[in-house]
Amino acid sequence: MPEWKHEISKQLAALNIPPAREQEIIEELSDHLGNLYEEIVAEGATPEEAYRKVLSSLSYSDLVAELRATERTAPPDPIPQGVVNSGHLFADLGLDLRYAARMLRKAPGFTAVAALTLALGIGANTAVFTIINTFLLNPLPVERVSQLAAINTAQFTKTSVSADLRPISFLNLKDYREKNHSFAALAGYSSPMALTMSSGSESQRVFGEVVTSNYFDTLGIRPLMGRFFLPDEDATPGASPVVVIGYAAWQGRFAGASDILGRTIKLNNFAFTIIGVAPKGFKGINAIFGPDLWVPSMMAEQVLPAQQQNALSDRALLTFTGAGRLKSGISLSQAQADLKTIADALEKEYPDANQGQTVSLQPLTEAVIVTNQRQGLLFGSIFLMAIVGFVLLIACSNVANLLLARAAARRQEIAVRMALGAGRWRLVRQLLTESVLLGLLSGILGFFFGYEGCRLLWSFRPAEFAQNLVDPHLNANVFVFVLVVAILTGLIFGMAPALRSSRTPIVEALKEETRTAGRSVRHITLSNALLVGQVAVSLVLLVTAALFLRSIQREYLISPGFETKNLTIFLLYPGQSGYDRTRTEQFYKDLRDRLSTVSGVASLSWAANLPMWGRAQPGVVLEGQEQRKKSEAISSVVNTIDLDYFSTMGIPILKGRDFTQDDRDAAAPVAIINDTMAAQYWPGQDPLGKRLQLPGQKEFRQIVGIVKTTNYQTLGEPPQSCVYVPLRQNNSESMVLYVRTERDPSPMITAIQSEIRNIDPALPIDDVRTGTKVIDQALWGTKMGVGLLGVFGLLALGLASIGLYGIMAYAVNRRRREIGIRMALGAGQSSVLSLILRQGMTLVISGVGLGLILSVLLGRALSKFLYGVGPGDLPSLAGASLVLLFVAMIACYLPARRASHLDPLVALRES
Amino acid sequence: MGTTLDQEWKKGSAELLILSMLEDQPRHGYDIGKLIESRSGGKLHFHIASLYPLLYRLEHRGWIQGRWVEKPNQRRRRYYRLTTQGQRTLAQQRRSWQEFVGAVSRITGVEHA
Repeated sequence: MPEWKHEISKQLAALNIPPAREQEIIEELSDHLGNLYEEIVAEGATPEEAYRKVLSSLSYSDLVAELRATERTAPPDPIPQGVVNSGHLFADLGLDLRYAARMLRKAPGFTAVAALTLALGIGANTAVFTIINTFLLNPLPVERVSQLAAINTAQFTKTSVSADLRPISFLNLKDYREKNHSFAALAGYSSPMALTMSSGSESQRVFGEVVTSNYFDTLGIRPLMGRFFLPDEDATPGASPVVVIGYAAWQGRFAGASDILGRTIKLNNFAFTIIGVAPKGFKGINAIFGPDLWVPSMMAEQVLPAQQQNALSDRALLTFTGAGRLKSGISLSQAQADLKTIADALEKEYPDANQGQTVSLQPLTEAVIVTNQRQGLLFGSIFLMAIVGFVLLIACSNVANLLLARAAARRQEIAVRMALGAGRWRLVRQLLTESVLLGLLSGILGFFFGYEGCRLLWSFRPAEFAQNLVDPHLNANVFVFVLVVAILTGLIFGMAPALRSSRTPIVEALKEETRTAGRSVRHITLSNALLVGQVAVSLVLLVTAALFLRSIQREYLISPGFETKNLTIFLLYPGQSGYDRTRTEQFYKDLRDRLSTVSGVASLSWAANLPMWGRAQPGVVLEGQEQRKKSEAISSVVNTIDLDYFSTMGIPILKGRDFTQDDRDAAAPVAIINDTMAAQYWPGQDPLGKRLQLPGQKEFRQIVGIVKTTNYQTLGEPPQSCVYVPLRQNNSESMVLYVRTERDPSPMITAIQSEIRNIDPALPIDDVRTGTKVIDQALWGTKMGVGLLGVFGLLALGLASIGLYGIMAYAVNRRRREIGIRMALGAGQSSVLSLILRQGMTLVISGVGLGLILSVLLGRALSKFLYGVGPGDLPSLAGASLVLLFVAMIACYLPARRASHLDPLVALRES
Repeated sequence: MGTTLDQEWKKGSAELLILSMLEDQPRHGYDIGKLIESRSGGKLHFHIASLYPLLYRLEHRGWIQGRWVEKPNQRRRRYYRLTTQGQRTLAQQRRSWQEFVGAVSRITGVEHA
């Protein structure tokens, strides 16, 4: 049987249809001819006759003409996906996404570098945002937090109500609770108090809050185990020794024991029964520092320090903060007006305690951080957010540069798609989808970077308070934040390259060869502008970090006003171990006597305040100046001290005398003040012999000495007034032992501890701090902030140098031909090297110049947060500039060296 | 008259003819051509050069669908079947064809009468 296929395919060749289709047609037609041939043969013709007949039956010219008409009506082959505009937004989005994923997979190196760069930027943002979210945005794991209000006491000042809020006395709180019409529930809580907890023979220091029985119900918190307080348990003072412990305390201090409920623990030597465990996320209302346990308010006398033991009966003792749940439909200002009426009545009814005071309401979310801390934290957060924002911008600009370089390589692809009919905006959309997808990918990575970074940061918190500090929480806010940042990032770094690419002139691009592609001058200008910006921003960040670093360095050099070297501090709470007054006094005296015989101890003393933990108390009254309005009350730090305190601390006595053995209960009450107080309240007079009255005390004390002012709360603080009173006239159940040794105190700590144990083995003695550690702790927050700044500054520097390297390497690669020609014409290696270096460093130096100007401007804005360093601090500016120039030099040098080693022959042949 | 009729009628009715050939069962191209020829008593004859392009056109329009079928001891053949759309088209074309023929014969009948 003859073969027809060859014959037919000869004819169809002119058609130029896809080969697969052509084969199909040939096969079908040859089958037809085969059938015809067989039929003719069957009718009796010879094969030759049949063959001729079959061939003649076919008019090829007709066939080709007809087929040409038919095959043209065929639907066009699908043109590349992602360019087809189906008119459906979501259908297109799906196509775009698939195409984008394919493009990213096709360039794994680019994708990895870009995603990593962006992830670092997004990670830094996530970390800072998690901190902000924890402290400022969503700090309380309670029910419908917007309904909750915090209630505090505010003082009237001359003109307005002071922003300085203080707690409310228990009796006032009770009146507010009973008389208000605005709150569905009103609870009270104290600040965390240091308590001595002992179970068995072991004692440890814990923090406890005294709360009203409705505290948990008002907040809407359910116990994890057991129950919270019943109203009956908060009805009679001292009647119900029950305690609720926090989750962290249960895990950390009781090893998560399952039989915890019903156990008895001793708090300040008084037996309490554990009735419940609070849920995991709840660490009290304060956003930073939370208690280990809660006791009902009626047990206040058993747990509060001696000065506050009358908290339940004394209207002047401000111990509780109110937390109220507003009735539905009542606004905060309505409630404020309601309570204000009650406060006015209370002021009239109890003028002794309430004069000059009113009530202040604020959303509970704002009360989670003490007002002055809140402002610092807010500023710090905004500042850090701005910093990491800049880091992210640098990362974006890096990736934008990468994309620009890639866009040059993709010019032909884009030109082909435009030639096939893709519209400009359709292309921009496609390219943006690609960058947003990249942004999202980096977002996922960045989220983990950020979270891990945050946990790392958290691991640096002071170990003493690890259980009491809140943990950073990760919730929907953080997820949404990262999502938005990731999408915005994609849009920001993708926009310029996408717009640029979509302006590709089709014909030129199609004619170009790949290697010479992208010779556009404008593209280079944009990259250069990005680069100058990056260098400038990195420099600003580096300078800022350097300024704060120098500032904190200065702070370490600040003298706190006392000698920190060879000083050791022991926190002891004999009162909390059941000592009565006589026994406490005896203990202080015994320990003094015993320790003064230990060799190596230079001197020692007792004081009520821990260094850097002092707090000014209002209500000091000066004799002869009582007429001063209550609103102008004098505030002062008050410290109770034993003999030799000033010599032990190295605080000079400027005038008068130190306390002596004779300053005891029976003798005339005395006090020593600091020179700040002397200058402020007795200007031009001699304060010695004048008398003053301390808050909560009846008698007037005669001033017998003036000492130099030290720092009481923070390092480098503005001078504060301070009044010292002798221990023998103002006994305190918890005191701090200050020991000055002749040499490094560390080896002597154990010896001193064993002396204490010799007197009373049951006394907890584990809280020991050296003088330098006290300063470290005081600067902890600042140090963390500066550390973060430094990390972000270095991150910015790293990203900017990678960007610089990338763009230089790309520029060199693009100019291989030009460099080849230069070298072929006789340019030496060194001249090529200096050509490339000069071009790169010109950009860097412009960036540094711009950055220096910006740094000085920013430094001015920050100057009030800097200590002892001006905004134009030369070492910071010069140091940061030099570091940046050095790193930039390396980033330029590597590609330049490669260029100078180029073989002109190879370079010329490539093009 | 033979060839003229053949050409004229084919032009107007070729699509209808092919569709109706496929109404009861799928057939391959040669079979379709043969069947038209025999059923018309040799009056209608499709050239290979016009039959196949026509089949492809109908296929592109979605009226018929071709499928390669392999049977033992036979060459691979492409069988065409009527699609649902093709069935609808066939019914429609058949109706208009009958109307057309009816109209023509009424007109021509009146003229001759």
